[in-house]
Amino acid sequence: MEAPSPFISLIEISNYQSITSKKNLPGDFALWIFIFAEMLVFGVLFVAYAFTRAYHVELFNESQLTLSRTSGAINTLVLITSSYFMVNGVSAIKQGLSKQCGYWLIGAFLLGGIFIIIKILEFHAKYAADISMSTNAFYMFYLSLTFFHFMHVLMGMIILAFIIFKVLNDGYSAKDYVGVETGASFWHMVDFLWIILFPLVYIIR
Amino acid sequence: MKQINSQSNIGATVIWLILVALTLATWRIGEAGMVGKSAMLLLLFIAMIKSQMVANYFMALRHTRLLWRGIMFGYFVIVGGLIALAYLRSLV
Repeated sequence: MEAPSPFISLIEISNYQSITSKKNLPGDFALWIFIFAEMLVFGVLFVAYAFTRAYHVELFNESQLTLSRTSGAINTLVLITSSYFMVNGVSAIKQGLSKQCGYWLIGAFLLGGIFIIIKILEFHAKYAADISMSTNAFYMFYLSLTFFHFMHVLMGMIILAFIIFKVLNDGYSAKDYVGVETGASFWHMVDFLWIILFPLVYIIR
Repeated sequence: MKQINSQSNIGATVIWLILVALTLATWRIGEAGMVGKSAMLLLLFIAMIKSQMVANYFMALRHTRLLWRGIMFGYFVIVGGLIALAYLRSLV
């Protein structure tokens, strides 16, 4: 049998190191691939919005004034605070405090619910004003970007609901909390994207 | 261990308060109807700084490999830069 070449061994060591160092990312690495992909999709849409606006400045500025900056700002505060609750939840489970973790996560979940309600009211107001994606280029971006993000909040809340159920049934511990970190990472991504979306679509002109 | 976690909670609280303050500043600038190159660059910079704070402190990426932090910083530079370029183009 042939002895393994030192070169191959070196590659194996380097691969092993890269696999183990992936643990540096909090939570499940597979979800991070999804997070980066989602960020890329939103990034392309943000840039597409900005360049489309460059050709229809008056239209975008005029249509933007019909949006409620206040409800957008409240929703930003809601998501930022829910993200902060998630950080506290992760910190609690790392100390083995399942109940406290559960309470923080329930808080984050409820804030997600407030975001959803405010967004539904906003969508309803636009629907009542006979505004749709075909009204103009601005509303096409506004409705598609915010609805796409809205679906991510809903998905995050479903993930959170499963984690909360498991946490309250002592399914996680100070040694096993990858699931909580994974859910938290997804939730922070939802916050991260809204932080850019809000000023871009609601404020900057 | 518990001391470390309480310290990290204090850090997260400070970051949360800064994010709240920057959000209120963004809303106030919008309500004041500030427009033009300076307002646009300021609002965009605030948004990108906030997103980096979420990535580094809430997502805890500041302790990870340079690669992951680099991806987030690259997002800041590329997406933020292209948006700024598009807006500057519309101001010409």
